[in-house]
Amino acid sequence: MAVFLPLPLPLQARIRLAQGLWLFSWLLTLAGGLTLISSGHLLAQLWHLSPFLDPTCSFPALPKTALAAGAAALGMGVVGAGITRASLDAARYPPWRGVLGPILLAGTLGGGGLLALAVGLALALPRGLDAALENGLGTALAHYKDTEVPGHCNAKRLMDELQLAYHCCGRHSYKDWFTVQWIGSRYLDPNNQDVIDQIHSNVEGLYLIDGVPFSCCNPHSPWPCLQNQLSSTQVHPLSDPRQPNLNLWEQGCHGVLLRLLGGLASTLGTVLGITFLLQVLVLLGLRYLQTALEGLGGAIDGEGDTQGYLFSGGLKEMLKSAFQQGLCAQRPVPEEVPPEAPAEEVPAEA
Amino acid sequence: MALMKVKFDQKKRVKLAQGLWLMNWISVLTGIILFSLGIFLKIELKKRSEVMNNSESHFVPNSLIGVGVLACIFNALGGKICYDALDPAKYSKWKPWLKPFLIICVLFNIFLFLVSLFCFLMRGSLESTLTHGLKNGMKYYRDTDTPGRCFMKKTIDMLQIEFRCCGNNGFRDWFEVQWISNRYLDFASKEVKDRIKSNVDGRYLVDGVPFSCCNPNSPRPCIQTQLTNNSAHYSYDYQTEELNLWIRGCREALLHYYSSMMNTMGAIVLLVWLFEVTITVGLRYLHTALENVANPEDPECESEGWLLEKSVSETWKSILESLKKLGKGSQVEAAADEGGQAPPAS
Repeated sequence: MAVFLPLPLPLQARIRLAQGLWLFSWLLTLAGGLTLISSGHLLAQLWHLSPFLDPTCSFPALPKTALAAGAAALGMGVVGAGITRASLDAARYPPWRGVLGPILLAGTLGGGGLLALAVGLALALPRGLDAALENGLGTALAHYKDTEVPGHCNAKRLMDELQLAYHCCGRHSYKDWFTVQWIGSRYLDPNNQDVIDQIHSNVEGLYLIDGVPFSCCNPHSPWPCLQNQLSSTQVHPLSDPRQPNLNLWEQGCHGVLLRLLGGLASTLGTVLGITFLLQVLVLLGLRYLQTALEGLGGAIDGEGDTQGYLFSGGLKEMLKSAFQQGLCAQRPVPEEVPPEAPAEEVPAEA
Repeated sequence: MALMKVKFDQKKRVKLAQGLWLMNWISVLTGIILFSLGIFLKIELKKRSEVMNNSESHFVPNSLIGVGVLACIFNALGGKICYDALDPAKYSKWKPWLKPFLIICVLFNIFLFLVSLFCFLMRGSLESTLTHGLKNGMKYYRDTDTPGRCFMKKTIDMLQIEFRCCGNNGFRDWFEVQWISNRYLDFASKEVKDRIKSNVDGRYLVDGVPFSCCNPNSPRPCIQTQLTNNSAHYSYDYQTEELNLWIRGCREALLHYYSSMMNTMGAIVLLVWLFEVTITVGLRYLHTALENVANPEDPECESEGWLLEKSVSETWKSILESLKKLGKGSQVEAAADEGGQAPPAS
């Protein structure tokens, strides 16, 4: 029967394979742990920034999938290390023989599938993030003044804390604040002529000014923060146009958050890629080891040359043999008898 | 009459030695923890040294570092001694050193206790350092052109944002210093000239605060200027307004931060001190139990262990007598020298 990708594995090669696999299994465990840590970090950051992300796309799906994939890789690594240690010791291998097949299957479908899904999500994240941040930040800016409207009363505090912590101002620049009314109507004097003129000159009746909130101020500026009348240059003649303007934060929050979350997602993607590679190597190695040892009938120290292979034939035959192996594992004694019978016959003939 | 006598048979001695060996190595770990606590505190103090006038006392973190290193050394040595105590041949090597080692351990424990006390007492000196440091910080806030002080504005702003505080005791401290540099004042304006004239020292004082005092929790956009003028802002009463600026002073905020850190450290050092005292007591018992093995050839025999051979008062008397003897001994030698010199002269 035709085998798929056969590989001759004498005793020395089998031992080398088992030792190499043991090392790779522990590397896989390490990679699984790293995946858990980076996906946890990304999940924490997404939760922290959820007020500024439009809820249409479910972003936590990526770190949650990555968490599951990382846990699966960790488990696979530990189990693989145990199996390879057992395969070098004749007394400890038999209990593993029966479960090895199902483990490999579970590892391939479960672990591999989760990893592939997570990598796909990591690649798709930045695009969705761009649109979600655009909408989320726009909503936050529009509701900055609604400190008394239930449901949006935290928008001001969250926006101020975001700008203070991430050193950014507005969506793409400080001029975004000129296009929204960020001062609540409750704190505008209805009898003040300037206020009335400003509101009348605007189509939607908004009170727009060329000023920004205090959280846009940059502490590195050598002069006290200039927040109001930013468009008119006559009011502040002392600011030097040749030097970089340190008065307000230059960056927009959109760019800062996109870079932060995109960076975390790409780190996670890299770690997932490495984990995927290691998992594939470990699964392949375990499969070759399993089939080589099956060829010897489960005897570890057998000197004979055996072949390791991936699939013993077509897909149907492979599934049938896996099913039969699972059944046979529950009846160990009859399996031992047939190899002994021919061995006994040979000396009798001789 | 010995102090706190306990009978030890071979099994008990072995158990004591093994237990002490384990405790000594755990103590090495706690010594490393003390060392890292000292380094952490030193870094935290250095981070804010600008608002403490660069004159803050580093006594507590330095002593924590020293105590951590000493604990590691003494406990590693103690562990080795306990390990060798079960082997009579190796133990005889350590015998003459054990008494001085125990005395050093007792002194170290006393020092450890003092360090934990200092952790709790440092608050007082920190408070005065912070008061002066913050006062100067606010005075130099505007000197962004003076080399050596140009970062004070950034430091104070970042401090007020991070610790959610304003001024030294409160935001009114900003009304008493000129925090806007003369370079950014328009001296042609009448308002500026009036303000400067009305002040004795010719300073430009305003009833306003820097932006870093603003509280993001306030429902209205931050009011920073003309804070005491109700008519300057719509629907504003400065006496009832609480959410506009941070209420707490930075001295109180920083003091609270450092006090809680040092209280935790003091508690940890106290626990370590208790552990070390237990180890020293156990080591003393092991020492006396092994000393009192009546027959060195028979390791199975029973022996007694105690803390002090005589009661406390008798031990104290004997220490004083031995000190007197030392003093007398040197006097006798001096007299003998003089006596030896005098006869040849005469």
